[in-house]
Amino acid sequence: MIRVVPILFGALFTLATAWSLGMLLLRRVVPSLDAWEGRLLGLIAGSACLSEVMFALCAAKLLYSGALFALGVASIGYAIYSGAFRPHGKPFEPLAPLWRWVFIAVFAAFTWYGFFNALAPEHSSDGMSYHLSQVLIYQRAHGFPRITTDIYASLSEGIEMLYLFAFEFGKHSAAALVHYAFLIALVFLVLAYGRRMGRPAVGVAAALFTYTCPLMLRDATTAYIDVAVPAVLFALFYLLQVWDETVDPKMRSQWLVPIGILAGFGYAVKYTAFLAVPYALGFVAWKLWRAHKPLVRPVLVVALLAAVMILPWMLKNWIEVANPLSPFANRIFPNPYVHVSFEDGYRRYFSTGGLSSRWQIPLEVTLKGGQLGGFLGPLFLLTPLALLSLRFRQGRQLLLAALVLGCTYFGNILTRFLLPAVPFISLALALAIANLPWLLLALVAANAIACWPAMYGFYSTPGSWQLYEVPIKAALRRQSEDAYLSEDPDYKIVRMIGGLVPPNDRIFAIGQGGKSYLPREVLIGYQGALNEVMQDILWTALFQDYQPLSSLKFDFPAREFRKLRVVLKGNQPDQQWSMAEVRIFDGSTELPRDPGWRLRAQPNPWDVQLAFDNSPVTRWRSWQPASAGMYVEVDFPRPQRVSSVAVESSHDSVNAKIALEGMGTDGQWSTVSDHPKISAHPIRVSLRMAAIAELKARGIQYLVIHPEDPGANDFFRYPAAWGLSLVGQESGAHLYRIQ
Amino acid sequence: MEGFGGFASTTTGGLSDNVFLIRFSGLLCCLLCLVACESLPESYPPPEQRPPITSPGPDAMMASMAGPDADSYIVKDIYGPFGNAPWRWSKREPTVKVLVVSNENLNFSTDFAIWDDGFKSTGPLEISFFVNGKLLDKVRYTTPGGKHFEKPVPSGWLALNTEATVALSVDKLYTSPRDKAQFGVILARMGLKP
Repeated sequence: MIRVVPILFGALFTLATAWSLGMLLLRRVVPSLDAWEGRLLGLIAGSACLSEVMFALCAAKLLYSGALFALGVASIGYAIYSGAFRPHGKPFEPLAPLWRWVFIAVFAAFTWYGFFNALAPEHSSDGMSYHLSQVLIYQRAHGFPRITTDIYASLSEGIEMLYLFAFEFGKHSAAALVHYAFLIALVFLVLAYGRRMGRPAVGVAAALFTYTCPLMLRDATTAYIDVAVPAVLFALFYLLQVWDETVDPKMRSQWLVPIGILAGFGYAVKYTAFLAVPYALGFVAWKLWRAHKPLVRPVLVVALLAAVMILPWMLKNWIEVANPLSPFANRIFPNPYVHVSFEDGYRRYFSTGGLSSRWQIPLEVTLKGGQLGGFLGPLFLLTPLALLSLRFRQGRQLLLAALVLGCTYFGNILTRFLLPAVPFISLALALAIANLPWLLLALVAANAIACWPAMYGFYSTPGSWQLYEVPIKAALRRQSEDAYLSEDPDYKIVRMIGGLVPPNDRIFAIGQGGKSYLPREVLIGYQGALNEVMQDILWTALFQDYQPLSSLKFDFPAREFRKLRVVLKGNQPDQQWSMAEVRIFDGSTELPRDPGWRLRAQPNPWDVQLAFDNSPVTRWRSWQPASAGMYVEVDFPRPQRVSSVAVESSHDSVNAKIALEGMGTDGQWSTVSDHPKISAHPIRVSLRMAAIAELKARGIQYLVIHPEDPGANDFFRYPAAWGLSLVGQESGAHLYRIQ
Repeated sequence: MEGFGGFASTTTGGLSDNVFLIRFSGLLCCLLCLVACESLPESYPPPEQRPPITSPGPDAMMASMAGPDADSYIVKDIYGPFGNAPWRWSKREPTVKVLVVSNENLNFSTDFAIWDDGFKSTGPLEISFFVNGKLLDKVRYTTPGGKHFEKPVPSGWLALNTEATVALSVDKLYTSPRDKAQFGVILARMGLKP
């Protein structure tokens, strides 16, 4: 039991610090609110402030527990001293007894599930593999180390900054509890909004619709961030509605500060919430324009404050990975750290989610949840009924917000990406039948029953992401964390790796979860350009399709060139272009690669050396669909006599479209040949050792292979042929040391 | 239905109270924009040249009965280790599998022995040598003691990066009078050699 204390302290101290900052920020506007809505909005706005402070501490490498403790104590102390917590404003009318008890009963029942799951040792997939693994890295480095080999380190991490604060004191579960607190805050904000509308029953019903939503509850009990997104967006919506209704012009101006901060915080929490900015700006501008009031200054204030929340993340990426929007927009901001092909594949995958038709989405996201990572519950099949709320002004506002803030959904159709719309839809649905209180009550009861975890099995796909049990023993640490987490193979594997790999050694894996429990550097195959190159090297040794088994030779009468270019003359959208080696000959003699040569490529100039390193396991690749105009170029320091150029490449059909261009001594480019002679380029020895040597040259000392990895059996059966020594095995995964 | 107007403000104070925050925000944005990003070179010199990939060492495709991983090579007809001895008894058709990591000029190679006492019982032995089930050669041994066999394998018999089975077949076995166990030869190593 005593082990729960630091966890609870970490979470509560984080929330108290955020709340204090928020109440200080809102202290001038709080008097216009009910005490509870002031506190809730204060918590969300304060979270944004604390997140920003944490960013600054990380950037300055000042992340020490002493500094965080002092920050928390100072924030809480000053808020108390300045009276920021003192209740102001006119309280809401009390809830009717029936609705009060309905709320208490359902809320308490689902909290029984939610709280103990959040308190239990954190073992969610993404929580372990990246949300908290980044937190662990920052904590160990006392700030932001430069990370160029993990796309997840480039996503905005506004909520992870709060997790970092909590993690410093209470580790993984404290972070999960902070996330759970966002759900609690969201539920009470929805309730408060109903009461503010003068429809407390609508508030109660919508709050319970939101809270009992199976995916909402499941997600909130982990160190994911998807529930924090709707909490922030709903708080922003709330602030905008309050601003719209505020009459006092000075007070209206004051509201713009938290509105701007929360609009920007949306982006800082998750890229897909960037729409909070245009939504807030559009809302403010539209309302002021309609009222014939000056709009430039208020809009600028919101935009500026939003920028303060957004720009740090963009600049961090710009500085670290040369792309402010990394891991996206790599065509606009070409960089050596994320391949365009990764981005294309990522978008393609998540826009279909593996479904054969988008008509499967409604049932998948409401009832089944097997393919799209969870379900919202049967209630949301009634979403079309929410249109009936359009007859109310609030209904129109709610549905507009749901539409705008949820419109990025089709970019990633996992159910989690619908969560931002859930509170708005919940309110709109309840509002639609607000005039039939008995029906509303029946719907609340039916929904609570249908969403009770024991009922999931009647409609959801077995194994879909959901709550299954109340792990009280594990939550209270009467069962050890290690014993509880050992039910997860990923945890057991990283525990094995952590026990066998020295602290400063680097590990490569095609895939590996659970990194938040592994204080080692693990490079995952798809998570960065360097990683993908290393994966490509391994697969070149394994698969013939990757090997340079073709030689394309351009023969021509010898003459002098200043530059030579192998150019692609046609498009091949389904293939990438690659070349393992470019060899240049004068007669039958290959020209040695002169240190004075300058090599260029377009695209992916950063890997051009791989086509000139004399290694058959490395290659320059376009890492994007082959298109006309791509080239690899050699710039000679002085005119160079050349009679042939050979390109060693895989059997890709795109090679039928290549040509050789040269710049003569006159400085003019011309096509030298566009008919290479294609011949076989047999490889007579295993490339395994060479591939492992390339990984070693890139600083890798260990390799983890899972049974499901491509070519895994080859590693398992012939470690000696790879130059690997098996040092550990766990749950099917093999850990090898490179000899 | 009560509107938001019912909660109109009662305090004073306007945007000017936050003017410091707003000015600070503007300054911060400007400062952040001045931070330089990494400049990336446009061209590169040729890198360090990798040595040509050569055939692996002479023992890369040899299954040694002395090695700790000997069992991973064995397909059939080879007994377990005999104490710490660097060899193992075979039965009639000892077979091992090896990964072909080079297919340039490979030889079938094996070191084995014919036991003196067994030879007294069996007399001369005729041993056939197989690669991937194809008969490579057949040799008649008329004396006991250590033997070495090595013969080039036709290149078409082997494919790079695939497993090859390498076997020998003994025509007569020695039968132990005590437990009727049957023995072929004493095998030290067998496989392919460049």
